[in-house]
Amino acid sequence: MKPSRILLITGGIVLAVVMMVSMFSTGGEADTSVTSPVSVQDSSACIASKKYMRSHHMKVLEEWRHDVVREGDRIHETPDGRVFEKSLNTCLSCHSQNRFFCIMCHQYANVKPTCWNCHLLPTETK
Amino acid sequence: MKHDRREFLKKAGFGALAGFGALAGVIPGLALEKTDAAAFSQKPEQGKTRWGMLIDTRACTEGCSRRVAACHHVHNVPDFGDPKNEVKWIWKSSYQEAFPTAPHQFPSRAVAEREVLTLCNHCAESPCTRACPTQATFNRRDGIVAMDYHRCIGCRFCMVACPYGSRSFNWLDPRPAIKEYYREYPTRERGVVEKCNFCSERLVKGLPPACVEACPENAITFGDLNDPGSLIRRMLSDNETMQRKPELGTLPSVFYII
Repeated sequence: MKPSRILLITGGIVLAVVMMVSMFSTGGEADTSVTSPVSVQDSSACIASKKYMRSHHMKVLEEWRHDVVREGDRIHETPDGRVFEKSLNTCLSCHSQNRFFCIMCHQYANVKPTCWNCHLLPTETK
Repeated sequence: MKHDRREFLKKAGFGALAGFGALAGVIPGLALEKTDAAAFSQKPEQGKTRWGMLIDTRACTEGCSRRVAACHHVHNVPDFGDPKNEVKWIWKSSYQEAFPTAPHQFPSRAVAEREVLTLCNHCAESPCTRACPTQATFNRRDGIVAMDYHRCIGCRFCMVACPYGSRSFNWLDPRPAIKEYYREYPTRERGVVEKCNFCSERLVKGLPPACVEACPENAITFGDLNDPGSLIRRMLSDNETMQRKPELGTLPSVFYII
């Protein structure tokens, strides 16, 4: 086969592919998708050390609340590169096994946060 | 040279201002705002996106109940069964209720009998956010008028300010009035105002709003109004559309094809 003929056939195939792609890619799918989908990594380790979380979880949660509600920023990245969704559900996906996880310390320290007035505890079933 | 007290104070004031300005330039920590561009990469950017919705009312044949139910389910909206305490994010209105200022002296029967899906318009010039004394309701960078239920004090100024009746007050504890909890979204408590959030919690995951997804006739188009190539913008330029009460200058982001 002549090289010019090969070139012609390859060019024809490329043209056909380009036309097919441009014909079938005008759907509205791309409109509703958002640029930064949250990819949540399942993890056995918490976002920070146990000691830090014990003393500072309220600060973390307050920061998360501000970022998510006010800024629309839902992705938390730990210094070692793990990614979490900033949500109480992220905490509870690991810690819901212990029914008294929040209550135990809060009762001892006599603090009464109002989180569960609106946010659903995993133990609340209906 | 004679100096009176007034002249001296003027000169001293200007001198101090110039001094502080120079100091802020030399020591960056003293400058008023510190901006870290990298931190904004995943947040909605100001003016980049403006989410909008186009509802084709001609396609609403089945009465839209499915969309209302889908929205109210995924957002734990209570149903008290009493119109006085009604809480609604999206609901059905008659044409006259939805467009009271549109000309409709002798409307065609099809238009007069048509039911229109109404929801928060996510106005670009939203009167509710101006009325809110605690900034519990505010304009997000992507054009969504959002509610921060943590901050709402239940004063209901926003309900008075909203010309579309898009806001509802929780007169009672909503929890007992929720048939089935949707676990991924919180409920509200007694004493806060609530409304449609354009499904911002779904958008961030790349999902369309619940009403769009639940619509069997694909009557609702959702997309970015700032992108000239988006489907919603193409449909807006190809069809004659209406906004609710456009004369108020609120610039609603929800459009209708009648």
